[in-house]
Amino acid sequence: MTELPILTLVTFSPLIGALLIAFIPRHNVQLVRWAALATALVSFALSLALLPAFDARQAGFQYVEQLDWIPAFGIQYKLGIDGISLVLVVLTTTLSWISILASFGPIKDRVKEFMISFLILEVGMIGVFTALDLFLFYIFFEVVLVPMYLIIGIWGGANRIYATIKFVLYTLAGSLLMLVAILATAFAFQAGHGGDWAGAFDYEQLRQFGFDITLQLFAFGAFFLAFAIKVPMFPFHTWLPDAHVEAPTAGSVILAGVLLKLGGYGFIRFAVGMFPDAAQSYAPWIIGLSLIAIIYGAIVALVQPDMKKLIAYSSVSHMGFVTLGIFIFQQQGMEGAILQMVNHGIITGALFLCVGVLYERTHDRTIAKMGGLAARTPVYAAIFGFFMLASIGLPGLAGFVGEFLVFVGTFAVSPVAAFSATIVMTVGAAYLMWMYQRLIFGEVSDFLKGLGHHLTDMTPTELVTLTPLVALTVIFGLFPGLVLELIHVPVDGILLQFRDATAGVAP
Amino acid sequence: MTTDQLLVTLLLALPIGGFALTALVGRRLYQRAWIIAVGAIVATWLIAMYLVYNTLFLNAYGAQGLHFTLYEWIPAGDFRIEANFAVDNLTAALLIVVCTVGMLVHVYSIGYMAHDPGRWRFFAYLNLFMFSMLLLVLADNFLLLFAAWELVGLSSYLLIGFWYGRRSAALAAKKAFLVNRVGDVGFALGIMAIWTTVGTLNFPEVFERIPLLAESGVIQPWQMTGLALLLFLGAVGKSAQFPLHVWLPDAMEGPTPVSALIHAATMVNAGVYMVARANPLFVQSPSAMWLIAGVGIFTAILAASIAFTQRDIKRVLAYSTLSQLGYMFAALGVGAFTAAIFHLMTHGFFKGLLFLGSGSVIHGVHDEQDMNRMGGLWRKMPITHITMLIGAIAIAGIPPLAGFFSKDEILGQAWKNGFVWVWAIGIVVALMTAFYMFRLMGKTFYGPSNVDPAVEPRVHESPRSMTVPLLLLAIPSAVLGVALGFPIGAGLIEQWMEPVFEGANEVLGRGQAEPFQVLGLDGFLAGASVAVAVLGVLAAMRLFGFRVPLLGLQAKPRPAVVERLTDRLRPLYTGSFHKWFFDDLNDLIFVRAGGLVARGLWWFDVHIIDGAVNGVAGLTQRSGRGLRHIQTGRVQNYALGIALSLIVVAVGYFVAGGR
Repeated sequence: MTELPILTLVTFSPLIGALLIAFIPRHNVQLVRWAALATALVSFALSLALLPAFDARQAGFQYVEQLDWIPAFGIQYKLGIDGISLVLVVLTTTLSWISILASFGPIKDRVKEFMISFLILEVGMIGVFTALDLFLFYIFFEVVLVPMYLIIGIWGGANRIYATIKFVLYTLAGSLLMLVAILATAFAFQAGHGGDWAGAFDYEQLRQFGFDITLQLFAFGAFFLAFAIKVPMFPFHTWLPDAHVEAPTAGSVILAGVLLKLGGYGFIRFAVGMFPDAAQSYAPWIIGLSLIAIIYGAIVALVQPDMKKLIAYSSVSHMGFVTLGIFIFQQQGMEGAILQMVNHGIITGALFLCVGVLYERTHDRTIAKMGGLAARTPVYAAIFGFFMLASIGLPGLAGFVGEFLVFVGTFAVSPVAAFSATIVMTVGAAYLMWMYQRLIFGEVSDFLKGLGHHLTDMTPTELVTLTPLVALTVIFGLFPGLVLELIHVPVDGILLQFRDATAGVAP
Repeated sequence: MTTDQLLVTLLLALPIGGFALTALVGRRLYQRAWIIAVGAIVATWLIAMYLVYNTLFLNAYGAQGLHFTLYEWIPAGDFRIEANFAVDNLTAALLIVVCTVGMLVHVYSIGYMAHDPGRWRFFAYLNLFMFSMLLLVLADNFLLLFAAWELVGLSSYLLIGFWYGRRSAALAAKKAFLVNRVGDVGFALGIMAIWTTVGTLNFPEVFERIPLLAESGVIQPWQMTGLALLLFLGAVGKSAQFPLHVWLPDAMEGPTPVSALIHAATMVNAGVYMVARANPLFVQSPSAMWLIAGVGIFTAILAASIAFTQRDIKRVLAYSTLSQLGYMFAALGVGAFTAAIFHLMTHGFFKGLLFLGSGSVIHGVHDEQDMNRMGGLWRKMPITHITMLIGAIAIAGIPPLAGFFSKDEILGQAWKNGFVWVWAIGIVVALMTAFYMFRLMGKTFYGPSNVDPAVEPRVHESPRSMTVPLLLLAIPSAVLGVALGFPIGAGLIEQWMEPVFEGANEVLGRGQAEPFQVLGLDGFLAGASVAVAVLGVLAAMRLFGFRVPLLGLQAKPRPAVVERLTDRLRPLYTGSFHKWFFDDLNDLIFVRAGGLVARGLWWFDVHIIDGAVNGVAGLTQRSGRGLRHIQTGRVQNYALGIALSLIVVAVGYFVAGGR
């Protein structure tokens, strides 16, 4: 390989930083923090460096790197990206440096371990989006669990052990089934090629293979469980509120911003890409579950007393749009789903940062105790309000376009489904506005009065973490083409392949 | 980009720029926080008037108007949405109202908000609203219109909740946004349906293809009706028609200039504008048109009946606004599109005037809004009194002031187009309107003073920045009817709107309007309108007092008679006073029942769904513990297990293999 292996650099740059940080003395907390931030910024810059040479009109994967890893079983070290992975990689690197910066204040114990965990987490997340070998993908998918387990379990809230064990066991249960399915497809591939293992884990080759329907139905089911738990889809979502409530702010940001997208990405790339017939057969059920998630999540969010739980349930609702958009198998729907993943990452990540800002001052997240913040912390009120409106889907801000594209795509296929989904436009606005009104409007609550001068407005650091997200929310709201142009060709490819594969199957 | 395109772009850029600047630095301008915002709007007004002149008087852009694309907003495969704008005659008519009332409200607010520490925020929001409203009338496709639709909703939310410390304001702001969202669901679905059936969202193309698609049967009549009703649901929300009317009266929690601008003169007209804009679509469905007329006229009478008994001066005006908007929808429903736009324009001016006047009154009596604590103000607030009187006569429908011409046009068209029931209800509403407006005038200006004695000596006329806008609004309230609507049926407004509604009139089978016949049906209908208006005014004058300073005419109020009437009509009075209990009903259904459902689902989530998850985990743990007992380490136990298993396998083998 003569070219610079830039994808490897993007993926493993945080690991290099983590290794370097390991050599910094633990008492030198400031240096650890800045080194971690510098590392994350380097990965961010590297991921941006992918953009200029990326050809959005070219089908297939770019920046591909391919090396044999375990040749006996055809397992490779193969990386590559298309537009879909690219936008998610950049989302990951963006939210990572912001989360690390946002942890400067809140994380005071074991800073070194936290930063190392966080950087390893970043490796896992980027790896999931760049891996083109199923075995490699599986490893990255599982690598993510370990640092997240530690982040919630060590730096989390009072009930952190329960939450983190639940999170890990639940997701592990799903992904282990996926491993079985990966092995099963590899065996089928090898059997179909006269016992030759070459390419048995290669995504691009598996995609062309055309598995028989029985295997597809089983394998899709296993992949579905893994990703449905990750997204999380109703009824596999109950780990999410617990995990969010206990996780530290940065953990919540990454959990909502990137980890949930691993599921959505997995659906598009692997579950649909490799098993189109099974996807077709399961689609009505998945659409049904998505609709339930959209409405159910929003309704349950209405009565949450805890800010983080409320946003967690809103994520269930918003991610319902992602799965709905994917499984409606229609161009606008799928492009909307991907855009929604990016926008949800930015907006919900920002909402968790906002909750973190308040928690830092009050050490509480109970909505009923707050009130009248507009008078005491006007800048905070404005920024929180901005993201509240973005999350509601106000046109001109990022949330709107993705949501509307999913609506339009759904309507074109099934007006009834679109009717049910649009109900959330009211309920979704209701729970966020209710929370915002209780927090920001009205008179300053006694609880907040009791804090006295501890209740300060946003610090410069907090502003630095949130301002880029404000800018992105406006930019992607006004120019969604920046993302859509990148994902257009791959979405076309997936839908085309899907149509070819299912042409013979009666709907 | 041509100069005119640049000017249209500036029309949007100036207010949004003013918003951004005021939001960033307005706070540091202290008393002068208004300077950027007002400057931006004055410039906007000048540009708008230039464009209006070009469009309406020079016909500079042809019959189709000026269309252009700024950039491609959403490129998603076949779904390509541009940020494109249009200025045609309909837009120009709206621009006159939006920019003029908008500018005067900005000027008025300089004085009205002078003592509010948050004034910089206020002016920033006002500019944001102007941007959104201009986007709404300039948008040339449905999705951009929808975006503007939501953005005016946002500005309205921010301005209603402007005094955020008040719980009632915060609740009203939220209610306005959420009730509007119910309508927006319909609007959004309508847009999706248009894209799915027509394949584009650009106005010119949609309106060109819809009649063809309807004719060829690609869009079935029921689909067309469904489409129209979905869009109409959006209009019902934004223009506060029954049953989504509940948000508008509460919106009066916002500062009064906001009530004048957003909740009377401009934003609430958006629904009327949208239906008028999409007229080629609506005329394809007679049933939808019928329903629009029905909802409109029902709202008109419902709201008028509530306005009868309200004590808060702004609430009376709010219900009056609902009622007048109802008239406009009735006009749209009966196919009198021009009359609807005409009434939209005149109402924009005289209702803006009345609201600003009420703001002046509230300001003068030191933030009192209860009319039972006003009275006798005509002497102390002469300019406010005279200008409000002009507004009241205009809305009551007494010629030659503006309201008469547009209202008479609506009622006359209803009759002539075969909607006699709409006319009949409408004429009753006209009577009620005249009555409650002069009830308001009597209680506020003429009757004995009930002003708090502590405040009484300090009651004063408002500063010039407030009275000048009142005077400027009084002019169109007085003459706009004659200027645009005379001769009746062939005025300027008819000429302007002719190209816009040409196609619709053709579909509805309307020919050229015949000249007004004084001694025919026209004369009878106009006479009836005037008669009921005069009757209403006289009745109110008799009960609540009146005074014409120059002529020396005056009448004392008769509280005893009012009391007796109220007693006799107690059930009606109670119903009207409590707004026919719609708020209580909504509270019961949505807040209480909805809350119960949500709580029930949460319980389900925690105990059933998560219970199952934890149950599985618990079961695994327990079975692990249970199985641990088997693993005893004693060879005898294992041997027993092996033997038992062998027996089971053997029995199974013989049973299964025995056949």
